[in-house]
Amino acid sequence: MRKTTRKFLAVTASVASIALLATACSSDDGDDTKPSAGASESATADDSPVTLKVATFNEFGFADLYKEYMQLHPNVTIVDDKADTSDNARAAVTNSIASNTVVDDIVAADGDWMPELLASADFFADLGSDSVKDRWPEWKTKMGTTADGKLIGYGTDSGPEAICYRKDLFEKAGLPTDRDEVAKAIGTTWDSYFDLGKKFMDAKTGAAWFDSIGALSQGMVNQQEAPFEDPATDEITATGDNSVIKPIYDQLTSDEVLAQSAHLGQWSPDWSAAFKKDAFATMLCPPWMTQIISGNAPDQKNWDIAPVMPGGASNWGGSYLLVPSGGKNVEAAKALADWLTDPAQAAKIFVQYGNFPSQTAATTDAQVTGKTDDYFGGAPTGKIFSDRFADVATQPYRGTHYFPINAALGDAYTRVDVNKTDDAASSWKKFVKAVDDLS
Amino acid sequence: MTSTGTPQLAGPTSDDERVRQQRRVGFSQRLGRWDVKVSPYLYISPFFILFIVVGLFPLLYTGYVSFHKWDLLTGKGDSVGFENFDWVLHSDMFWKSVRNTFSIFLLSSVPQVIIALVLAAILDANLRAKTFWRMGVLVPYVVAPVAVSLIFGQLFADQSGTINAILAKVGMDPILWHSHVLPSHIAIATMVNFRWTGYNTLIFLAAMQAIPRDLYEAALIDGAKRVRQFFSITIPMLRPTMIFIIVTSTIGGLQIFDEPRMFDTAGRGGADQQYLTVTNLIYQLGWTNRNFGRASAVAWILFLMILVISLINYLLSRRISSEESAGAKKRKKVRA
Repeated sequence: MRKTTRKFLAVTASVASIALLATACSSDDGDDTKPSAGASESATADDSPVTLKVATFNEFGFADLYKEYMQLHPNVTIVDDKADTSDNARAAVTNSIASNTVVDDIVAADGDWMPELLASADFFADLGSDSVKDRWPEWKTKMGTTADGKLIGYGTDSGPEAICYRKDLFEKAGLPTDRDEVAKAIGTTWDSYFDLGKKFMDAKTGAAWFDSIGALSQGMVNQQEAPFEDPATDEITATGDNSVIKPIYDQLTSDEVLAQSAHLGQWSPDWSAAFKKDAFATMLCPPWMTQIISGNAPDQKNWDIAPVMPGGASNWGGSYLLVPSGGKNVEAAKALADWLTDPAQAAKIFVQYGNFPSQTAATTDAQVTGKTDDYFGGAPTGKIFSDRFADVATQPYRGTHYFPINAALGDAYTRVDVNKTDDAASSWKKFVKAVDDLS
Repeated sequence: MTSTGTPQLAGPTSDDERVRQQRRVGFSQRLGRWDVKVSPYLYISPFFILFIVVGLFPLLYTGYVSFHKWDLLTGKGDSVGFENFDWVLHSDMFWKSVRNTFSIFLLSSVPQVIIALVLAAILDANLRAKTFWRMGVLVPYVVAPVAVSLIFGQLFADQSGTINAILAKVGMDPILWHSHVLPSHIAIATMVNFRWTGYNTLIFLAAMQAIPRDLYEAALIDGAKRVRQFFSITIPMLRPTMIFIIVTSTIGGLQIFDEPRMFDTAGRGGADQQYLTVTNLIYQLGWTNRNFGRASAVAWILFLMILVISLINYLLSRRISSEESAGAKKRKKVRA
């Protein structure tokens, strides 16, 4: 009772106080906010004061934009409701759907949660309008659109993948170090990537070729059209006879590939600490990963980016803004979400925070393509990721079981690669069992 | 109320009114009687209303959910009888989580209570700067669990951790804290002990200070040494506190959630469920797999488990102590 109940009490108390605060805010704003002095450039006809709560997580880079928007629209007050972890943000969204209560006027959601949210599309407002038509490439819009064509999410950032590599380790192994030559050497298929890995390992530099099999798996899953489920029926295919991930699994857990791994669990303290050492030479690198690398190893000056992705261009990560339809100010929230995801704003966010835009027009913006990164040897990161982005053609189909299956697959790789508690065959069996348990 | 107390002043004007006034008298008396009988219950009702709303209702509702197919997002589905319970009881994951929970519970609660008892005995002695030491033991309790996990995450990291670095210096093989079952349990139990030992120490200390000092003086005169005093006076006199602490740390230990969840970044209790506890399993079933029916079934089984264990604990810890109370019982029996 003591340990958990106390916590739960604290949580309940804080939830209650937040709820009280929230209701206090919303009842206040009717009287407190001064009526706008007519200087408003508001696009909406209605200038009555509104307060909009925006739920985000990690870093969406909206802080300055909120200020700008509130200056443009004096009747709007924006309240930032940032969750401490993305896991908690996901729990908050699902809880509000489950209890059918609207807490925030705008909700940010990771692309991985979209299938679940699409399954409850009634909870969210239809965001389709002429101003957002063709703002994003088809694969980005598709992940926020229901089967019958209702758009429930405005795309924010995206994650076109490249390969980050260590110049010094490449040099030590006698491999090219120039980013275009490295791209050529890595080649466009996974086989060529692992072949180069073998050459690298044979040079015996003491470093591994890549960081984590789990990370590579995520990259390879992102290249499949339907990794786990049948797009037509939503039935689970991951463990069946025609499984598309079994061949990937077999390749990644083969002795040849395992020998090139640094055996690190992605996101673990060991993984973070390894960036400072000479632990591995390459890793998959969506734009947001560049910030993680420079954050984990601020003094390591040898990281660079090669404009290539084995197995074809693909996207890893990226989020959406959704508007619950039961909110008090749905129209105002829609207008704000529309403005926040406008290409002009997205370009500003990339320059300031490094979140790469998903809006087609923003990726060709001169501000974006002109950006270079001193940490990566002055690499033209804006140009590299824009080119990678242009080549992305599809996103994998994510059905209602995508999230738990992907987590179970991650566990399967961890058992073989990091913990070494299982061999490839027995770990696959456990994965099959875990997936069977989902239905 | 006050006007109805003096009906004669108004004077009877008609039969009708008299009847009405008599009735009023009767009603006020009845009110008075209710006041005496009902008010006490009203005064204590806030607790029970709160308990029913946040305790009993969720408990029963969880039971209701556990007999249905129930999705986190789409809500109630078909009624399935005992199917969820059947699945849970036949699931490897569940039994692994039960094993982990008990193992972590034993590794944390037992040392915790013993260390707390010893620490309290030391703090009970005449130390310099008493308050400083007494407050000192509570500091770990104030540290946020997330911060504790961060600190211990650095200590127990498999490759870059402090403990393994020290082991390597001594020439020993590193311990794989996240891969193997027992090391992971020890690591998690260490976190739990770090946080809760001080809290238990203070409770023991408070109970120890309530023990009449003349008992110790008498023992001293009889020639009892400190150790003898501790076992023959302190421990028997602590019995009610001991029961309280053992019961609460049993319940807490069986519901352990934060530490195993924070032990790695995925929060899934290890790739092979090395340190998945029952409460973690509930979370995983309910929120990751969105299967509230099964999650509720596990929650109910956990509830029953805690009930049984608490009962066993209570019976055991009644016998912990003292010849004195055992003797008292015998005497009672003889008298009867």
